[in-house]
Parts: sequence; C-alpha cells; structure tokens
Amino acid sequence: MTQLLGAPPLAGKAAVITGAARGIGRACALAYARAGADLMLTDIARDLPGVPYPLGTAGQLAHTAQLCREAGADTAVVTTAEADVRDLDAVHAVVAAALDRFGRIDVVINNAGIAAPSGKTVHDITPDEWELMLDVDVSGAWRMIRAVGAALTRQRGGSVINVSSTAGLVGYRHFAGYVTAKHALVGLTKSAALDLAPFGVRVNALCPGSVRDDEAAEGVMLSEIARSLDVPVAEHEETFVAAQPMNRLIEPEDVAGAAVWLGSDASRQVTGSTVTVDGGFTSR
Amino acid sequence: MDGTGRLCQALAVRLHKGADTERLRARLESRGGGARLWVEDFDEAADGPRATARRERELSRPADPRSGPGLRAVLLRYADGTSDLIVVAHQAVLPEPYVLVRQLLGEHPPAADGLPGADAPGGQPPQARTADRAERLRAALAELDRLPAPDWGLGTEGAATVGRHRFTVPAGGPAPAQLTLRAALGLVLARCTGQSQVVVGAEAGTAVAFSADGAQSVTAYLEQVAGARPADDGPLVGLLTTRTADVITGDGVKAEPFAARPFLDPPHALSLHIADDGSTVLEGRCAYRHAAFGDAAVEWFTGMLATAHRALLTADPATPVGELPLFDEEQRAALARLGGLGRRPAVPGERIEETVGRRAATTPDAPAVCFGEIRLTYRELDGRAARFAARLRELGVAPGDRVGVCLDRSADLVVTLLAVLKAGAAYVPMDPAYPAERLAYTTEDAGLSLVVTEAGGVPERDGLRLVSPAALDRPVALPQPAPAGLSADDAAYVIYTSGSTGRPKGVVVPHRNVAALLAATEEDFRLGGRDVWTLFHSSAFDFSVWEIWGCLMTGGRLVVVPYWASRDPAQFAALLESEQVTVVSQTPSAFAQLMAADRERRVAGAVRLVVFGGEPLDTRPLRFWLDQHPERECRLVNMFGITETTVHVTAQTVTRREALAASRSVGRPLPGWHLYVLDPDGRPLPPGVAGEIHVGGAGVAGHYLNRPELTAQRFLPDPHAPGPMYRSGDRGRLLPDGRLEHLGRLDNQIKLRGFRIELDEIRSRLLEAPGVTAAAVVLRQGQDGDSAGARLDAYVVLGTDAAHLPHGADGSEDRTEDGTARVRQHAARFLPEHMVPATVTALPALPLTPNGNVDTGRLPLPLTGGPAGAGRAGPEPEADDVESRLRTVWEKVFGFRVGLDDDFFSLGGNSLLGVRLLAALKAAGLPGFPLPQLYLHRTVRQLAPVLARQEVPA
Repeated sequence: MTQLLGAPPLAGKAAVITGAARGIGRACALAYARAGADLMLTDIARDLPGVPYPLGTAGQLAHTAQLCREAGADTAVVTTAEADVRDLDAVHAVVAAALDRFGRIDVVINNAGIAAPSGKTVHDITPDEWELMLDVDVSGAWRMIRAVGAALTRQRGGSVINVSSTAGLVGYRHFAGYVTAKHALVGLTKSAALDLAPFGVRVNALCPGSVRDDEAAEGVMLSEIARSLDVPVAEHEETFVAAQPMNRLIEPEDVAGAAVWLGSDASRQVTGSTVTVDGGFTSR
Repeated sequence: MDGTGRLCQALAVRLHKGADTERLRARLESRGGGARLWVEDFDEAADGPRATARRERELSRPADPRSGPGLRAVLLRYADGTSDLIVVAHQAVLPEPYVLVRQLLGEHPPAADGLPGADAPGGQPPQARTADRAERLRAALAELDRLPAPDWGLGTEGAATVGRHRFTVPAGGPAPAQLTLRAALGLVLARCTGQSQVVVGAEAGTAVAFSADGAQSVTAYLEQVAGARPADDGPLVGLLTTRTADVITGDGVKAEPFAARPFLDPPHALSLHIADDGSTVLEGRCAYRHAAFGDAAVEWFTGMLATAHRALLTADPATPVGELPLFDEEQRAALARLGGLGRRPAVPGERIEETVGRRAATTPDAPAVCFGEIRLTYRELDGRAARFAARLRELGVAPGDRVGVCLDRSADLVVTLLAVLKAGAAYVPMDPAYPAERLAYTTEDAGLSLVVTEAGGVPERDGLRLVSPAALDRPVALPQPAPAGLSADDAAYVIYTSGSTGRPKGVVVPHRNVAALLAATEEDFRLGGRDVWTLFHSSAFDFSVWEIWGCLMTGGRLVVVPYWASRDPAQFAALLESEQVTVVSQTPSAFAQLMAADRERRVAGAVRLVVFGGEPLDTRPLRFWLDQHPERECRLVNMFGITETTVHVTAQTVTRREALAASRSVGRPLPGWHLYVLDPDGRPLPPGVAGEIHVGGAGVAGHYLNRPELTAQRFLPDPHAPGPMYRSGDRGRLLPDGRLEHLGRLDNQIKLRGFRIELDEIRSRLLEAPGVTAAAVVLRQGQDGDSAGARLDAYVVLGTDAAHLPHGADGSEDRTEDGTARVRQHAARFLPEHMVPATVTALPALPLTPNGNVDTGRLPLPLTGGPAGAGRAGPEPEADDVESRLRTVWEKVFGFRVGLDDDFFSLGGNSLLGVRLLAALKAAGLPGFPLPQLYLHRTVRQLAPVLARQEVPA
C-alpha cells in the first residue's frame, strides 16, 4: 500500500501508547498525533510502592493529551485512560475502549516501564524488587499483547512496538533486574513476531540508549538512574555523553521518530527486529 | 481489509437544538448492550474544515460486536452551538440506526430491552444471537469474495486496497428512485458483461436477478425490475439507495439526519450507495475492491449509470431499452478521443512513386535495393522502373488500370511494383506459391488483362496477357508522354485477403493511405537513409507494403530476402548480419524462430527496430531477445493492423516491463488513425469491456473491389469523423489510457458443448506453461461433423528450456511426453474444464502459411484423444501389413497422426529421430534398414516396400 503523496504517515491509524504521561511516551504520543494517528494514551498515573521515584501523574497524562490535540492532525481523536500494566483486566479494558472508540487498533507502543529499584549488586536485590521489575517491564508488555492480539489478528494487520533499551542488548553494572527485564522484552518481541507474522501483524523492539531528561517531556530517567547509582546527575550525564560515539545523549524525539517509522507502512517488512536508537553506544 | 466495516452502517444527525449530552448518555446506557457515548468538543463551527474532516472520519470507523458493543455513538459539539450525533452500528447488532437515534432524541426513550432480539422468547441470550447473525453475515461476505474478478473491471490482481469515488445521478422521475436506479444499473451491467441476465446486490446476502434484454420497452422493463426475483448467484455489484430520514422534533429537540452510509467498506466487489433526498441530482458514493475494479473503470461505470438513469426517466416509455444511450455526447466524445480521434498529422498529398522519385533526385547514388549480387542505387531503381513503366504503357496500361504482379521476391519485383505505380496503375500482387485456382480467381475477380510473371506462374486465359520482367526491360518503340492527372487518391494496390468465410476479396488502397502511414511513423521510428530494411514477406501480404514503401519512401536500403532465407531462420539471421539490417518486420511466429537462431549465435547485431505484425504477439518470450538486444539498442514495436486499414493501426513499444507483465496491449492508434470498440449492436463500450474493434481515419481503405454489398457491411459511416470506419471482426478493448488490447478474432470465439470459448485465451495459457515457445489450438469436429465428438487439440513447440526440467533419464521421447503432460496439467490448473485441450501434441515447429501465420490446416492429427473425430479417411487398413505397422511406429516416434505420404523430414524428422525410428522398429518386431535409405524413401508408402524386401528373406 503506497502512502498518498503528502498524507501524514499514520493518517487513519489508531494507536495505544502506555506510559504516555511523560518522557518517551509523551514524545511518541506527540509524534503520532502529528503523524495523523488517533490515540488512546494510558499511564498508571500514580506512584507505586517499591519504586523509589515518582511516576507519571493524571495531570501529566491529561497534559500529554492536550499537547496532542493541539499538535494533532485535523481528524485525530485523543482519548486517555489510567491503567496499571500489572493489571490484566485494566489492560483489557484499555483495549476494549480503544476498539470501541476507533473501531480498530493499528499500533500498540508498550512503553510503560520502571528503571528502579536498581543500583544494587545482583545478589543484593530483594525478591520483591526483582518481581516488581519483571512484572512491569516484561509482563506488562505481554499483558497488552494478550489483550490486543485477537483484534490485530482479525484485522490482519498492526504493529506492536516494545520499548526496550540498550539494557536489552548489553549488561549494565548494578542494573541486573532492569537488564534482565529489557533482555526478556527483546525475547518476547522475537517470539511474538513469529506468532503473529502469519496474520500480517508486526512486533518490534525499540532500544533507546540513555535519554536526556527533557523539560518538555518531563522525563526523569537519567536522574533516577544517577540517583540509583548515587552519583550527581551532571556527573552521570558527563560520563554517559563521553561513552556515546555520537557524543550526545538521545532525545525523546529521536526515539519517537523511530516509533513513527515502526508504526507506519514504511516498515511493513520489519518484524522481530530490534531497532537501536543509541547514538552508536552498543556498536562499541 | 478488515471485514467489519463492510457490515457496518453509519448515520449522522445534526442537532440544531436539544443536544442534552447527559440525557443522551443516560438513554444510550439505559438501552443496555454496553454502548457508551463519546463526546468531543470543537473550537470550530460545524462547517469548518476540521469538523468536516472529523465527521467523515467518525462515519468511517467500524464497530465490531466481537470486541465491543458493535455500536458507537459520538457527539461532536461545535463552537457554533450545533452538534452532530454520529451512530455507527454493525448490522448484526442494529439493522436500522435511525430507529435508535429517534429513541435517543425523540419522545420515546428506548426500553431497557432495546437490544435487538431481546424480546424473542426463550432460547439463546441476545449476545449469542448477535454473534450468530454476525457469523451469517460474514459467511455471506465470504461468498461474495469468492466471485472471480470480472475482466472488464480492470482490477489489479492481488491488490488489497479499496477505492472510493463520488458521483452524481440525475433524478426526479415519478417512479421511486430505488427502482429506476436499479433498472439503470441493470442496463449498464448488461452492456459491460454482454449478458442480458443481470444480478444486482443489496445488503450482504441479498440480491435480485432480472433481464435487461434490449427489446423490452421502458415500461415493461421497469415492471420487470420491480418484480425481480431473488438471485441465487452472487452479485459483483451492489446498489443501496437510502432515503433521507425524517427530521426528529419534540421535547425541545430538532434533529436532522444528513448523512447515511449503508456500508463503510464495500460489501461487494463494487458497492454503490445513492442517497435519495428527493432532489433532482442525487449524490452517489461507491467503494470497490481494487482487486476487482480499477479507478478509471469505476469512473466510466458510474458515468454510464448516470446517463442510463437520465435516459430511463426521460425516454418515451415505449422505447426499447436497448436504444437508450448509456453515454452522453460528452462521454461519447471522450471515448472517441480515448480511441485516438483528433490527432491528424499533416499528410503530403504525394503519390508513392513521387516520394520515391524525390529520394532518387536527392540521393541518386544511395543504395536502394539489394538482392544477392544485384545492387540498385536509387537512380538505377528509378530509371529501371521508368523503363518498365514506359513498356507497360506501350502494352496498353493506362492510369486507373490494375496490373497483376506474380513474382517471387527479387529486385525485379520491387522494380515492377514501382513501374506499375509510375504507369498510373494499381498493382495486384499475387504469390506464385499460391495454388493455381487461387491465382486464376484473383486475375478473374480483379479483372486483370495483364500480369507480370515468370513463365508458367499464372494460369493462362483468354484476354489475359502474361509478361515477364525481362520483357519489360526493353526500350520502347514509341516513347509516350508520362500519364497526366494522377492523384494521391488513386488506388496504389489491391491486395486480396481471405476471411474465415467467403471468397477472398480485393482491398483497394489509395496512395494517400501509404503516405499517411509513413507520416505517422517516420519521425517516431526515426526512419531514414541509414536504415537497412528487409523485404521478408510475400508481396501478396500487405506487411510487404510497409517493408517496401516504408524503406524506399524514407531513403533506406531494401534487402530482398530470397525465398530460401525466409524459410530458414539461421540463414535469415546470417543475412541480417551480412547486410547489417537495421529494420526488421516479422510475424511473431517467424520471429520466434529467428530469436531461437539468434540465441544460439547472436548475429542480428545491427537491428535497431523490430516491427511485429500479422498476428497476436505473446510478449513473454521476448525477454530472451531483450537479454541479448537491450531496449536502448533495439526497439521492439508491436503493431496491430489490418489490410483494410493500410497495414497498421496501432503501435506499442514492447519493453522488458511489458514482456514481464505479459502485456496484450497493441498500443495507441497511429496519429491519424482512430478506433472504437463497439458491442454487437454497434453501441459504444467503455474502456475495459471487450467488443469489436472499428477503425477510422487516414488508413481506412475505401472499399472492396467490385463488392458493394460487402463494402457496405464492413465500411460503415464513422460517427465522429468524415469518411468510413472499418468493422474489423477483431475483438479488443480499450484501456483507460487509450491503449488497445487485442483479444483475437471474433470468429476465434467458438462454441463447444454450449460453452463460448476463446481459442486465443487457451493459447495464451499454453504459452505460459514452462518450456512452451509456441502454441496453437484448433477445434476439431467429431466424425461427420458430430458435435458430440468435438474436441480441442493443442499443439506446442517445446523450447530448449524444457530440457532443463526434470525428466525421465532415458532420453528425449519421455521428455516430450513429460513435456506435453506438463503442459496439459498447466492448462488444467488455469482453465475451466471445458477449455482444457483434449490432446496436447508437441511439434518441432508450427507449420506456417506463406504470410508467416500458423497454418492450422497443416497441423497433424494427434495420436491420442479418444475416437479420432476427423481421423483417417476411409476404413482402417488391416493392421498386419507392413505399411500400417510402419505407420504406427512413425506415429509413436512423432507423437501425432501420420499420413502415408507425409515426408519424414517435413514432419520435423531429423537424423536423431531416424535413429529412434530404427529402435522403435526393432521394438515392434520390424526389420531395420540402413539410415541413409530414409533420405531416399521419405514416406511410409515409400519406405514400407524397403522393409518388406528385408523382411521376406528373414
């Protein structure tokens, strides 16, 4: 299917984005709105016990939606729902609402995830910390795939984008839980891609490197990672930039651009792959 | 495509007042079923561009009962205080969205049991019943999807996209629009399918059938459509007419339904929706699967629908519906333009010999004609022809006369033809290879009193003078003044063509037509003094007109191909090389052989233009040529033409892309030529629909010689231009870009056991089979014309490619049998049973006529295929005599029926086959013989005594 000349790449498509209150989720939502997609934006919109930093809020989610409405194409609809990806029923409800509103779902971006509790040597991680990390960062994505799979296969088309990380490709000291979860997400991506390929449904992993905390996106990842490692943010950022072949940190927009491509028909033969947006970090 | 949108309906209602969001929400929720109200606010008025775009989007979102309530209500609130309520419902959930809207807005809110079927007693829960209904609807869709795409729809095989198109239809008759629109659609479908029985769909799973026979009056037709019976066959095209629903008022509410969509995606291959709002111009929308319909075809289709509807409403009710126009003036003019009308290059009003004479004056020493050792410059050609012409005049030839020319290809043939023209006469070419009766017929019919021929070439008769070229090459006793009063409108030649029926007839072609042919091609083909052409074809075949005059009128050098070289592809290829020929004209059958020769040893290096003509071209094998001769070095042009239209009509450059796509396009008409595709009643057909090709313009010959009746039948008044148009008897269709697809002869359409069969279609399938390089199909009647015994016999030439396919280890006999079996399997896979040939016979080459076409009369009878319908004449001889045993062995070796007097080598035999014949004789218990004997005793009848002599002493 060729895109109409000049039509935005996601015109007429409907997308569900989790973790959309801020950061990469917000950047993806904005890019999708500009690309003409209808949006169902979700976020946990509350803090989680065991996560040592504040998570997205209802206000931030509403703000993302408002930004999308302002930036969006004339025909795009933006709706929001609060949902915890650890709760299968809640995830199902999000999918049902999106189908009810849009009649179809073309793209799912499994972006919800947590970076901490981290900063511990592997044998010091507690069972609760370990399970929380896997529950959100891997099982959350699987729950969404489970909920949306029937609709996507029936439509005979769709694109699932699992936001993993360079931590899904290489190890990081003192981040065993996070690295394990993000690696598992790459494995889930490959297997799901094989299962869904006969139905024309694509599944890909998007692996960003360290994303700069961004005022507009209200991202906090880098500072949270620095805090987990107990180093000043500035120092941490300096160390990280030095490790980047492109000599700069990733911006949320850089990730969103790849997400638009993966969600559009331009990538129609791309499935089961890991798309790395890391300024060359993992090429070393 | 997700099928859900095909089963959903949408309705938009403008709320002028009374848009109480909370009441709407409460009423919707009280209905049950889980549907919720979605509310969107706009900072823009209802008619703003964003609001309009959003409404369209909401009207196109499906609602699937498998993943939700199957019903969606969206309230769009605008800055100007108005709102739109948009309801989308799956048919299984809610067949009538308007009913729900009235309940939501009107005075009677829906009951809690508003779910359809909830009031049905007992049994299934409502959800299960909805699921059942949805399942049945989906099954009905699947049924529709199984219908094959119609040829005339011009769809793209395998396309998954949906096209959409908007149109308007004039309305305003006394009868309900739903009825008259359906009737109009019936007329359009009948024209496009060529069948008077039509089926028109409505919602998924419902359709009606009726007859759109052209003889019925408008009144009778409308009555018949009104009483149409439910159809069993699935419809390709669906028509849904919606009437604008009433305004809903009361309780402080004023709500006006303004957009109803009976489907979001097309349930049928082509689904039309026309909204009947009572006005005189109705808005129509259609959606279609690109797999079945192309955009241009749909545009023509809806245009015809509008014209047909207007005609139905305005015609006298007693008018037969067959007379109603389906194209208005504008559409007819557009069709004519598409067919090439309106492109008329300037044609010099020059006679052929004048143009050639001009070349002789400007480039007298340029080579003009070569034949073996003979080389004539333009000066020599012109001078010699002038000498011949003076002699012809001395012999009594006067302007306007016809002079027969019955000569093999030679330099003197060309000189003689030019001389006849110089004498002011028209030449009547005859092929010396034709049977004496045919030659006698031509001299008689053309009223010839003089034929230029070699001794014994033409049967003598009283009043007919036979003159040899040598006798013309003499100085005249009394020089006569050059003929005066000659014009380009005079006849240049009369060529006899034999149709499938009736006697051959003489086509009279004026000089001006040949000048027009060159004017149309000279620049495009860059014909000029550097070109070297071949004269390959018999002068009795009008392809030679192109070869001879195309060359000499543009200053090229004409290489006359000796008869032996035209029969032997390797020799011909060698000639192309030695003469550095640049322009070659070939029939596809002959070119296939040349291509094979060139493939073995690339020799045709200087050829820069190949012109195909004379028979349909299968473009696929041309890839092999293109491999060796890339497009930038050698242009391949497929030209469709007819003697009656002066050699050519259209031209299509064949690129690798065309070859890969197996294009059947013969291109656009030459500038100055134009064409129409008409149905059997002479009515125009839209692009995509096949009909009879009619040709008008600069190339149309005026008439048949002495055949006023036939002339009147075939040369009809051109509806759009002065002069006649020629009714070709060829089947074809226009493509939306104005190119013509040639689909064979109309009389190649045969009937076998009640089926109408296109032999060319079968041939085309055979050519697709791996290894097949040429193919022919014939219908053979049963014994004594018994139609029950009729069958299709196919003949194929298996190329070298077949050798690369897996086959039996022990030799080429199995290979051939495997080959034909594979070809038949291939045909059976793609053709309906009644079109699969009963037999497939492999031949080393297809027999050709002198014109280079397949000579079906000389195709041997197949060995197998049940009771040999047209088998051997007379009773079978006793099977134990040597002759018949020998014949059986021959037949086994060749794979087809062999006559007692068939020449071993003419049948395609060679020394290898001779060795196999010896082996087969041994296996059959017959004596062998020294192989060289086969060259002396080439037929069964001759060879049998040789064997008998060897058998007796044994």
